[in-house]
Amino acid sequence: MNVIELKQLTKTYRVYQKKEGLLASLGGLFQREYRDVNAVRGIDLTVAKGEFVAFLGPNGAGKTTTLKLLSGVINPTSGTAQVLGYVPWERKNAYRRRFALVMGQKNQLWWDLPANESYRLHQQIYRIEPAEFTRTLDELTGLLGVRELLRQPVRELSLGERMKMELIAALLHSPEVLFLDEPTIGLDVIAQHNVRQFLKQYQLERQTTILLTSHYMKDVAALCERVVVIAHGQIEYDGSLAGILDRFSGHKIVTLAFTENQMPPDLTPFGEILEVLPPKVKLRIDRNVVAEKLASLLSQHSVEDVSVEEPPLEEVIADVFSRATRSKEA
Amino acid sequence: MYVRAHTWWTILRIALEERLVYRGDFALGTLMRFLPIITQIFLWWAIFESIGSGSVETAEIANFTFPDMVAYYLLTMVGRAFSSMPGLASGVARQIRDGEIKKFLIQPVDMVGFLMLNRIAHKLAYYSVAILPFALVFYLCRGYFTAGWPDPLTLAAFVSSLILGFLLGFFLETSIGLIGFWFLEVSSLLFVYMLFSFFLSGHMFPLDLLPEPWNLLVDLLPLKYMAYFPAAVFLGKVSQDELMLQLGIQVAWIVFFIFLSRYLWKRGVSRYSGFGG
Amino acid sequence: MSEQQPVLVRVFLTFARNSLVREMTFRTNFFIQCVSAISWTLMNLGFYLIIFHHLNRKPLADGSGWQQNEFFVFLATTWIVFSIVQAFFMPNVQEFSELIRTGNLDFVFLKPIDTQFLISFAKVDWSALANFVMGILLLTVGVWRLTTQSNNPLSLNLANVLLYWFYVACGVTILYSLMISLAATSIWLGRNQSLYDFWFYITNFSRYPMEIYARSWGWSLWGLFTFVIPILIVINVPARILARPLRPEGPWLGLPLSGFAILATLVCLVISRRVFSLALQSYRSASS
Repeated sequence: MNVIELKQLTKTYRVYQKKEGLLASLGGLFQREYRDVNAVRGIDLTVAKGEFVAFLGPNGAGKTTTLKLLSGVINPTSGTAQVLGYVPWERKNAYRRRFALVMGQKNQLWWDLPANESYRLHQQIYRIEPAEFTRTLDELTGLLGVRELLRQPVRELSLGERMKMELIAALLHSPEVLFLDEPTIGLDVIAQHNVRQFLKQYQLERQTTILLTSHYMKDVAALCERVVVIAHGQIEYDGSLAGILDRFSGHKIVTLAFTENQMPPDLTPFGEILEVLPPKVKLRIDRNVVAEKLASLLSQHSVEDVSVEEPPLEEVIADVFSRATRSKEA
Repeated sequence: MYVRAHTWWTILRIALEERLVYRGDFALGTLMRFLPIITQIFLWWAIFESIGSGSVETAEIANFTFPDMVAYYLLTMVGRAFSSMPGLASGVARQIRDGEIKKFLIQPVDMVGFLMLNRIAHKLAYYSVAILPFALVFYLCRGYFTAGWPDPLTLAAFVSSLILGFLLGFFLETSIGLIGFWFLEVSSLLFVYMLFSFFLSGHMFPLDLLPEPWNLLVDLLPLKYMAYFPAAVFLGKVSQDELMLQLGIQVAWIVFFIFLSRYLWKRGVSRYSGFGG
Repeated sequence: MSEQQPVLVRVFLTFARNSLVREMTFRTNFFIQCVSAISWTLMNLGFYLIIFHHLNRKPLADGSGWQQNEFFVFLATTWIVFSIVQAFFMPNVQEFSELIRTGNLDFVFLKPIDTQFLISFAKVDWSALANFVMGILLLTVGVWRLTTQSNNPLSLNLANVLLYWFYVACGVTILYSLMISLAATSIWLGRNQSLYDFWFYITNFSRYPMEIYARSWGWSLWGLFTFVIPILIVINVPARILARPLRPEGPWLGLPLSGFAILATLVCLVISRRVFSLALQSYRSASS
C-alpha cells in the first residue's frame, strides 16, 4: 500500500525585489517587481507503508519545500499529492492528526515551561486518551532517556535534550507518517548518535513511514534503505544508497602496499594516482577494469597488502549535485 | 585638534547614514503621532464649550483659551522632538550588561561624547524627515495660534529652550542609563522616570492646570523643561524677567547632569574594571 | 466524528494555565508589570480628575451629562475592555507577527485545530488583568456614587448589568477583529511596528465619549469611527447603558445605537475571519 503518492508536484513562488531608497519603496507600494523561483518542478514519488526514505540535496534544492507541501503548510502551484489518502493542503483535521513534522531548526515547545506542560497541551489539541498519553509519553521518555528532564524548563535544556523533547512532542499522537527536516542539525556527535538510534528503533517497532532530510550522510547510511536525491527541484536519483555509487561513481579506490623498495617507478598505466606514501600508493581505477588491472599489478609486482574501497559517499553525492548544476546551466 | 574633529565628524556621518535608511518609516510614524492631537482638540473643545456654557470663545482654564490649549499640545510635540531620547538610557544599560561597554575602554573614544554625536545624528536625521509632517500639521492648525508669531526675543528664547531641552534630556537619560553599572536591570527605574516625565513634564496637559501642592513640586523638578517650558515660552506665558531666570535654572540643571553623568561614568568604569568585566 | 474535535474550551484552559505557570516563574517581572500597568491607569485618572476640577461640576461636553461620576463609569469601562484585549489578544497578535517573521507559522498549520483559534488564544498576559481589577474598582465607585446621589439617583436592575457585560463582550470582539485583521496584513506587508502604532492611535479615538466629536468636522470622524471602523461604540455603548448620562437619551444614542452595536460586532467578526483566511491563503501560496 502506498502511503505517499506525488504526481508532477510543482511549487513556484514569487519573491518581491525590494528596491533601495524612499521613492523607490513608495513606488513599490503600487508597482512591484517579482522574480519567480521554481522550488519544486514536477516531482513524482511513491512511498510505501513503513519505508524510511532519505531526501538528499544541496541547500535550496527543494527538500524542505517538498516536506512543507506534504504536510499541507503550503499550497502547490500544480500537481497532485496524496498522503494516507488525503490531499495534504486541504488540511483536514483527520489528516493532521495522523502525521507529524519535526524541523531541526525550529522549536515548538514553550520556551519557559517544562516540556511536560507543552505535552499536555498536545494531548488536548490532538485529543489523546489520558491512558494512551501516559503510556506513549512513558515509552518515549524511556527510549530517549529523558524522563527526569520532563519537569525542567525547556530553555534550561541542552540542544540535544531539546531535540529529543521536540521529537517526543511530534510522536505523542503516534503519527503514521513522520516528516523529519534536519533532525540532527547542530547536535554533537553523541547526541546525533542517540537520536539516530532512537529513530531506528522507533521505526522498527512501529513501522512508521518516515521521510527524512539531512546533511549528515551518517544519518542516511544508518537509517534509510532508500535515498531520493533532489537537485534544482527535480529528482535526480531514487534507489538504494549503494546504488548511488554504482550509478554515479565509475571508480574504485585501490590502496597497495608494496614490499620494501619494490615500488614500481611508474604506476600511471594502472590508474590515476591519488596519493603516494612509499611504500603505499592510492590509485583511482575505473570500476569495469578493476579486476583486470589488479590482476596484472599483482602478477608484475611484489605486493604485501591490497584494499579496494568505494569512494566516499559525500564526494559522490557532491559530484551528483555539481553535475546536475552543470547540466542545468548547459 | 583637527584629527579629533575629523574623528567626530566621521562618527556623526556614519550614524546619520544609518538613520536615514529608515526615513520612510520615520515620515509615516511622525504623521501618525499627530493623530492623538485630533482627539485632544475635540476633547478640549468640548471641555471649553462646557465651561463657557455653549460658547468656546469666552472660556478659559488657568489662563488658557481653547486655541491656546491646542497650540500648547502642538508645541509640546516640538519640545518632545528635542528632549525625548528613545532608547538612550536602556541602550546604555544594555551595553553595560552585555559588556559592549568594553569598546569605549579599548578604543580612544569617549563614551558620552560618542553617544551624544549618535544622538545628534539621530535627531538631525529625524528632523530632516519629520519637518514635512510637522510643517503640514502646523500649517493646518495655524488658526489656533491666535497671537501669531511671537516677538524675536521670545522666539530666540524658545529656540534656546529647545536646544537646552535636548541637552537636558540627553544628560539626564545618560545618567539613568549609567546607573546600570550598579543595577543590572534599570528598566523599572526607567519606567518610573517615564511615568513621572509623562505626567509632570507637561506632555499630558499644561502644568498651570495642576492644583496647589503639585505645581510647587513641578517647579522644583527638571522635567518641566522637556515639554512644558518651550511651549509656555512660545505662547508668552512666561514673563520677560521670569524668562532669563528660568533659562538660567535650566542651564544649571544641565550642568548638574553633565557632572553627574561624568561622575557616574568614572565611578562605574573603575567599578567595572575592578570586577574584571 | 465530532467527538474527535478538540474541545476548544479545554485547549484554552490549558493555554491559560501554561501562561500562568510561565508568569509565576518570573514573579518579580509579573509584579513589576502589574504595578506599571496600574500606574499608567492612575495617571490617566489623575488627568481626568484635574479636568473635572476645572470643569467645576459641569459635564465633559456641554449638555452631554458626562459628569465626574458618570465619566468614572466610562473610564472604568475603557480600562476593563482594553485590559481584556491586552491580556487575551495582544500577546497573541504580537506573537503572530513574530511567527510570520521567523517562519514558525508553519507549525500552527500542522495542528488538527482551527488555525485562527490557535493563533488568537495561545497566550494570556495575566498581568494586564491588573487593570481589569482597577476598572472594577472604579466602576464600583462610579456606580455607587450614581445610585446614592441625592439629586436624581440612578436605579439599576439586573437587565442593565447583564446588558452592560454583553456590550463589553461586543466591544472586546470588535477590537479583537480589528487587531487580528491588522496583524493578518503583516503577511502581505512583512513588518508590524507601524501597524502596532496604527492600532494604538486608531483605538485612541474610542477612549472618549462620542459627544466630543459631535461638532463641525468632528461629525465626519464620528461617522467614520461609528460606521466604517466601529470603534466608537466599543466603550460608548456599554458605558452609556450603565451610567445613563442623559435621562431620557437623545434619539440616536438609545436603542438604534445599541442595535447597531450588535450588527457591527457580527460584521466585524465575519470580515476579520475572511481577512485572516485570505492572508493565510496568500501565505501558503507565496512561501516556499
